[in-house]
Amino acid sequence: MSDRRIGVYICHCGGNISDYVDVEAVREAAGKEAGVVVAKTAMFTCSDATQQEIMEDIRENSLDGLVVASCSPKLHLYTFRDVAKRAGLNPYRYTQVNVREQCSWAHTDDKEGATGKAVRLVRAGIARTLLTDSLEPVIIDTVPRALVVGAGIAGLRAAVGLSDIGISVYLVEKEKSVGGRVAGLGSMYPHGRDGNKLISQLVSEIGKRENIVAYTGAEVVEKSGSVGNFNVRVRVGAYKPQFVDLNVGSIIVATGFDTFQPGAGEYGYGTGRVVTLDEFRDLLDSSGGRPVYNGKEIKSVAYIYCVGSRRDSGVEKAKVYCSRYCCNAAVHASLLAMEKNPRIHQYHLYRDMRTYGRYELLYDQALEAGSTFLRFGEEDPPAISGGPGGRLRVSVKDLLTFGEEVEMEVDLVVLVTPMVPRQNGALVDVLKLPLGKDGFFNEIHPKLRPVETVVDGAFICGACQGPKNSSESVASALAAVTQAASLLKKGYVELEPLMAVVDRDICRWCGECGKACPYGAISKEEYQGAEIAVVSEAICKGCGGCGPACPKNAIDLKGYTDAQVKAMIDALVAEWGHTSLI
Amino acid sequence: MDLPGRETDSMNYDVLVVGSGIGGMESALKLGDMGYKVLLVEKEASIGGKMILLSKVFPTLDCASCISTPKMAAAAHHPNVDLMVYSEVEEIDRNGKGTFNVKVRKKPTYVNPSLCTGCRQCETACNVAVPDQFNANLAARRAAYIAFPQAVPKKAVIEKEGSSPCTFTCPAGIKAHGYVALTRSGKYDEAFNLVLGETPLVGSLGRACYAPCEGECTRDMVEGAVPVRRIKRFIADRYYQGHREPVYSAVEKTKVHKVAVVGSGPAGLTAAYQLALKGYEVKIFEAQPLPGGMLRTALPSFRLPKAVVDRDISNVTALGVVIETGVRVEKISQLREEGFDAVFMATGTNKDVTLGVKGENLEGVRGSLDFLRSVNLGVEPSLKGKIVVVAGGGNVAVDSARAAVRLGAQRVIIQYRRGREDMPAHRWEVEAALGEGVDLQPFCAPVEFTGKNGRLAGVKSVRMQPGEPDSSGRRKPVPVKGSEFTTPADLVITAVGLTPSTGDFEKELKLNGNGTFAVNTETLQTPVPYIFAGGDAVTGPSMIVKAVGQGKRAAYFIDRFLSGESLDGADYDRRLGPVAGEAVLGRQESLSRLEPVAEKEIPLEESKAGFSEVELILSEEEARYSAGRCLDCGVCSECSQCAASCPANAVDLGMREEKRELEVGSVIVSTGFKLFPADAKPQYGYGKYKNVITGMQMDRLLAPTRPFNTILRPGDGKVPDSIAYILCTGSRDKTVGNPLCSRVCCMYSIKQNQLIMGSLPMADVTVYYIDIRAFSKGYEEFYNQAGGMGANFVKGRVARIDEQESGNLVLTYEDIDGGGVIQKAEHDMVVLSVGILPNTDPFGLFTGEELEQDDFAYVKETDEDVSPGKTSIDGVFVAGTASGAKDIPDTILHAGAAAAQAAAYVERIRRGK
Repeated sequence: MSDRRIGVYICHCGGNISDYVDVEAVREAAGKEAGVVVAKTAMFTCSDATQQEIMEDIRENSLDGLVVASCSPKLHLYTFRDVAKRAGLNPYRYTQVNVREQCSWAHTDDKEGATGKAVRLVRAGIARTLLTDSLEPVIIDTVPRALVVGAGIAGLRAAVGLSDIGISVYLVEKEKSVGGRVAGLGSMYPHGRDGNKLISQLVSEIGKRENIVAYTGAEVVEKSGSVGNFNVRVRVGAYKPQFVDLNVGSIIVATGFDTFQPGAGEYGYGTGRVVTLDEFRDLLDSSGGRPVYNGKEIKSVAYIYCVGSRRDSGVEKAKVYCSRYCCNAAVHASLLAMEKNPRIHQYHLYRDMRTYGRYELLYDQALEAGSTFLRFGEEDPPAISGGPGGRLRVSVKDLLTFGEEVEMEVDLVVLVTPMVPRQNGALVDVLKLPLGKDGFFNEIHPKLRPVETVVDGAFICGACQGPKNSSESVASALAAVTQAASLLKKGYVELEPLMAVVDRDICRWCGECGKACPYGAISKEEYQGAEIAVVSEAICKGCGGCGPACPKNAIDLKGYTDAQVKAMIDALVAEWGHTSLI
Repeated sequence: MDLPGRETDSMNYDVLVVGSGIGGMESALKLGDMGYKVLLVEKEASIGGKMILLSKVFPTLDCASCISTPKMAAAAHHPNVDLMVYSEVEEIDRNGKGTFNVKVRKKPTYVNPSLCTGCRQCETACNVAVPDQFNANLAARRAAYIAFPQAVPKKAVIEKEGSSPCTFTCPAGIKAHGYVALTRSGKYDEAFNLVLGETPLVGSLGRACYAPCEGECTRDMVEGAVPVRRIKRFIADRYYQGHREPVYSAVEKTKVHKVAVVGSGPAGLTAAYQLALKGYEVKIFEAQPLPGGMLRTALPSFRLPKAVVDRDISNVTALGVVIETGVRVEKISQLREEGFDAVFMATGTNKDVTLGVKGENLEGVRGSLDFLRSVNLGVEPSLKGKIVVVAGGGNVAVDSARAAVRLGAQRVIIQYRRGREDMPAHRWEVEAALGEGVDLQPFCAPVEFTGKNGRLAGVKSVRMQPGEPDSSGRRKPVPVKGSEFTTPADLVITAVGLTPSTGDFEKELKLNGNGTFAVNTETLQTPVPYIFAGGDAVTGPSMIVKAVGQGKRAAYFIDRFLSGESLDGADYDRRLGPVAGEAVLGRQESLSRLEPVAEKEIPLEESKAGFSEVELILSEEEARYSAGRCLDCGVCSECSQCAASCPANAVDLGMREEKRELEVGSVIVSTGFKLFPADAKPQYGYGKYKNVITGMQMDRLLAPTRPFNTILRPGDGKVPDSIAYILCTGSRDKTVGNPLCSRVCCMYSIKQNQLIMGSLPMADVTVYYIDIRAFSKGYEEFYNQAGGMGANFVKGRVARIDEQESGNLVLTYEDIDGGGVIQKAEHDMVVLSVGILPNTDPFGLFTGEELEQDDFAYVKETDEDVSPGKTSIDGVFVAGTASGAKDIPDTILHAGAAAAQAAAYVERIRRGK
């Protein structure tokens, strides 16, 4: 018999449970289990009144284990862990049994069956609780400094944002100067502000802040440590490089994007008179008066949209995704061109006009200003050939005029190309950040955790996560600031102790567990002359993937030990007379 | 952790976040995680905003609940985040220190949140149904409700707009709306008991009340008032039929004090009843041989059968109240000597006012009370062959006339000095009298009663005409010279007014000029502290229900007096102000005409032949139909069933709003958006064609907490086979004043396409679009996936929709990919992919500095390029769709940006810069 002292509470949940589960019968069965000294039912276990009652029971009966059979642990695991904690019982000695979603709600047609299942689940919960130990959360102190990788508009703004809330920043930029792509831009949509001026403004803000240190011509070459306490080595300078070792609590990655380069000959690219949108923007930004190409005034332009994007397959290097910013950017470029040369003729050959949200107004303006829009299908891209006088002849089957073949002669063709993932494999290797199917850095969850990565303490923002325009990149940079600051301002991180633990006496390093670990939490160390596995508490997520991989059964999961799981199974199947299935 | 300066600053919170949708929650959580104290204010009963109401979310097809609920729980339990739900920020004012003075109004939920367990028993018990805003009005919810199953906090609230006009106007404070709502639900005993809680006279009021409630009924502005009084009679009669005697017995005398009540009319009975309920020993002294006051003696039994009065009185006596009849109290102090600690004088107006004309003391000239008393006691002899003249125009006059008809009088004349429309008697009573053959002579007044041998022989009257208006605004009648005429008469009944006979008490109490007791009108206390007075003896002749109200009031203050509590400042009438009928009609989505049930009476011959009750009771069906016409003006009917059903005793119907004044360091406005009202595109027939719904409604049909268990068309509940989507409904549309793209409609429609095709594999989905804007990470792939599953995308704008007899809908559209011809297509359900409009609420909150709007009435971001979320007021930031349409991922990033800047601002003001 057990000398444990466990309290078990069966919840009516109003009638949510008790309408279909005979809670009194469950209570009675639970009361008969070894080690159970209190077994009660309650109308609402989560109510303050019952919480108080449980706390009194824990104190008066010196309970050393707690089981509540109620709803999903998603709802109330932390509620009852907290009850235990407040009553002086280690919260990891608590087990929640779900008899609502798994019994009463699932078996409304079979009360007897629902009750029997509830009895077995509660028995299993008791069995687990009998084998619980007190566990303490893993506390890791954090270093109140952050590293920002990439000094484009997102990285610069992130650095200022962190500094403003009291966090010191190291800013590392690969190029010789900061500012990234926005530094090269003139007027930007939708507010018409100059990119280079925005960058100057941010650079001057950085200059005012003592707690930002910037390295240019620098690259991150090594990273070790874990969340809250990373050691990062930065190589500064190409010739005679110097190495700087930085100790930071978190890392924000803002490395931006590359632009798609059309293949040679694609839509005549590389043959003259065909440029990408980026090149066209440079041309516009550098023109004082009417834009000129190869010494000739540009009197007409055709924009071909979705060059390199929204293509299923079959086209070399082409991307499936929509690159988000390009419709807006192209329409905006046409407005700039119109400003510089009001008599210019412009044709937009597009597939869907994705001037989303407020950017619809740009599209409206372009239409009003006389741009012509023609829509082509994915299967019928426009064709380009040489025209008279060195001009280009563009022909397209226009779906807006019901498939009519339209031909136009233009001075310049602008290929509207997508943002593509930056080729920075070295950094990916160092930081171990995962890439998505599209090749951009992948967030954990676009809604729940949009700037977090599976590497705790490392965050992503700006266009390195996916195509974004400048202000969207800045918004995500500031979102990353809040994440990093949450981590660093608290001073420590508290991690769940439900994690893998290696039996040092059994383990003989074979590396299987390390291969199974998706988080890189397991490494090799020397122990009494032998090589064994060691689990980093800071990195382990308690997924349990390593346990079954171990040929010697040397790894167990705290809180869900093999012994506990076996005991639970035994308790579940006790009626059938099996002593153990395993 | 402690932030620098925390101890010295005066701020209650570092940051106020207004609105708890996904953006507001994200900002609040991020700030809380960074160590800042946050107040998150939400006007609804649960945090979560619109996202929690969605089915799944694009492009990951995650369940919206699964993504929202962890954030909601985190916000609720975060040590640095305090929630105020069901609360409205009323004012935000930036002060000289750079912080903000904020006023927040916490609306009363009428449920104590610390006791409520969220068990929803109140919801089951509630008898008012209103459109469920959390189900896009597809289904109904109760007035007592938990917002939705995943609500945080999961606490019930009771929606109360104010007092319903019927309840508010009742002088006795009887919850008219309450018992009507209970009747509607078929809970007749509960309805009866609700009235019984206020007064024992349920049956009497059900007949003889003049029902001021009906005069205020909002239905009266449509096609006629709800017959509130007749509903009360229905529930009283039904209850009394089943319960010949009260089901309760004498209550325990928990109080040491004894109370004497003088007079057993409506005021006395109600006071005695209420005091007995409170545990006092109460004795009533009645001068007449039978109790009931005017109910007994003045109201004729064809209007109020005496068995009903007896049964009503048994409600009082069953509590242990003793009624001593035939005892005339002449000295109040004697009662004191007999051991009564307080006395309630409710002696009524038991004397007729005399006309003051010659011959008034002739035999055959009688006061109305004397006449009616003797009729009611059954001792009035037959008037067969007699001519009766009644002088007066009030209800008592008409009752007297009708009683005379029943006693067989050959002719009954009512002479009234003003016109018929000026008669104080109720319209229906006058009509009934005329129907029974009473001869009404308006503009006539007796000037002399002539007699023979001391006995009445005739009435000399004069004709009157309207003269100058008097103080009441009515034109004072003046005699027409030379118009005298004489009517032979055997009996004259004078009914020109009643007056109290309080002469006996002159020495003990202060009297007013008209003989009524002088009291404090709030407490009904006389100058002698232990003596209270009320009813007609204080107000002068009035209505039964007003006397009932006086009795209740007296009981309340006598209890306070005897408990040694101050009578000053007691909050006796805690009713909320009335809801305006216009507002009630304004909030109706549709209002069908429901004609009132006709008033029914026994046949005239039968009526005239005796004293049988004239009015017929409503049938059960009529009562429920009539109650069903109620518009629930105040929303909560105050039927109290929620309170009775709550196992945790959490319902507190007396709760009142609270106002809080706070100082905060920074403000984040995350007040979200409004959906485009689909009926603003009349050519699509939303609101007219039942099978045209909005995208939000389709999301509710698809959600795990959906109102029905499947996707169905609202018109007939049929599962649709062919569903059309019309994109850009209300977006990119200058004809409705919104040229902007709403960013989310393409994608939510594509999401719904996939969910529909998943659950209705045979259904066809057609999407009518202009451009498909699948612009963000994973969206294009998601769009391709919908196409791959079979969604049919048609480029073209739909011009109009026409409904077929089958409920199917024919769309007329330009088929651009199909050669530009005008096509028609039939679908059995249409979903309008409505867009997003600004919520302009936040602009009104700021005093002093102005929160600037952009050209489209969103909150203006003044430096979107470098500081997205920054507004025109330093220290105020905007998060999410309050500054323009955004999808959820963009809202979350934007909210993070607002949080980072709010934190920076708080640090800045702490440093004093």
